[in-house]
Amino acid sequence: MKTKDSHNHDIGCLQAIEAFYAYLDGEIEDPKSIEEFEHHMRHCRSCYSRADVERLLTQRIAESARAKAPEMLQDRLRALMDKFE
Amino acid sequence: MTKRDETRAFFSRAIEENMDALFGVALRLTRSGADAEDLVAEAVIKAWSAINTLEDRKRFRPWMFRILRNCSISQYRKQSVRPAESRYEDGDDDELASLLNQQPDNFLTWWANPEREFFNDVLGETIMSEIERLPEAFRMTIILINVEGLTYDEAAEVLDIPTGTVRSRMKRGRTLLQKALWEQAKEAGLSSDCLNEIQR
Repeated sequence: MKTKDSHNHDIGCLQAIEAFYAYLDGEIEDPKSIEEFEHHMRHCRSCYSRADVERLLTQRIAESARAKAPEMLQDRLRALMDKFE
Repeated sequence: MTKRDETRAFFSRAIEENMDALFGVALRLTRSGADAEDLVAEAVIKAWSAINTLEDRKRFRPWMFRILRNCSISQYRKQSVRPAESRYEDGDDDELASLLNQQPDNFLTWWANPEREFFNDVLGETIMSEIERLPEAFRMTIILINVEGLTYDEAAEVLDIPTGTVRSRMKRGRTLLQKALWEQAKEAGLSSDCLNEIQR
């Protein structure tokens, strides 16, 4: 879904999809790669919509999977650490 | 305060700050609350005995998670119980396309144009049960990165794999998760409008 006015900034949808998770997880450091990805997102509704959904799913995963250490475990670990020399 | 006292104070503080995260990861490794508690306790003992191997305190979390995971692997070996084999091995191919090529057409159509509402409707417990069903390699990568907030480099250190493999597992794991959620939604009729559109 490249736009007609695409230029050397543009990457294809497959490349954008390949970069989705790395981009959303803050793992792309090269400014040129970030610019290319963001340029594609500004011009491709389908990829923009996918990225939006990926963000939402990431958020839902984080909310759903967070666990709380039981009190009994917390006490057990503190008792253990008190004995460390 | 002696150097040892200072190290002990650092260690206690770091464990306090990470109790929930350690239990959460242990729970995904063992799938049992009681086993997870034992695993965390064992890992904390091992970590303290190896505290001198922690070269950079800023990397406490990946170092600690790696010890936790190694303890889990030792447990499996002792009990001669192996984790479920993955149907999806890490191939040499790092292309998402290869995975997508194995998926049914209507999933691909949906994947390319998903409904945002779909993910609002899917219950958190459904997401968790589908994460539990993922092969261990993908499950742990998603948990470490999306839940515990580790970087790809840190997750690579915990899992003892190259960073490129972490990247590949994230893509594959997330795509498998979405496919599983899509199938759940189909069965529950959650995504009927979307599917009708696709099948038209």
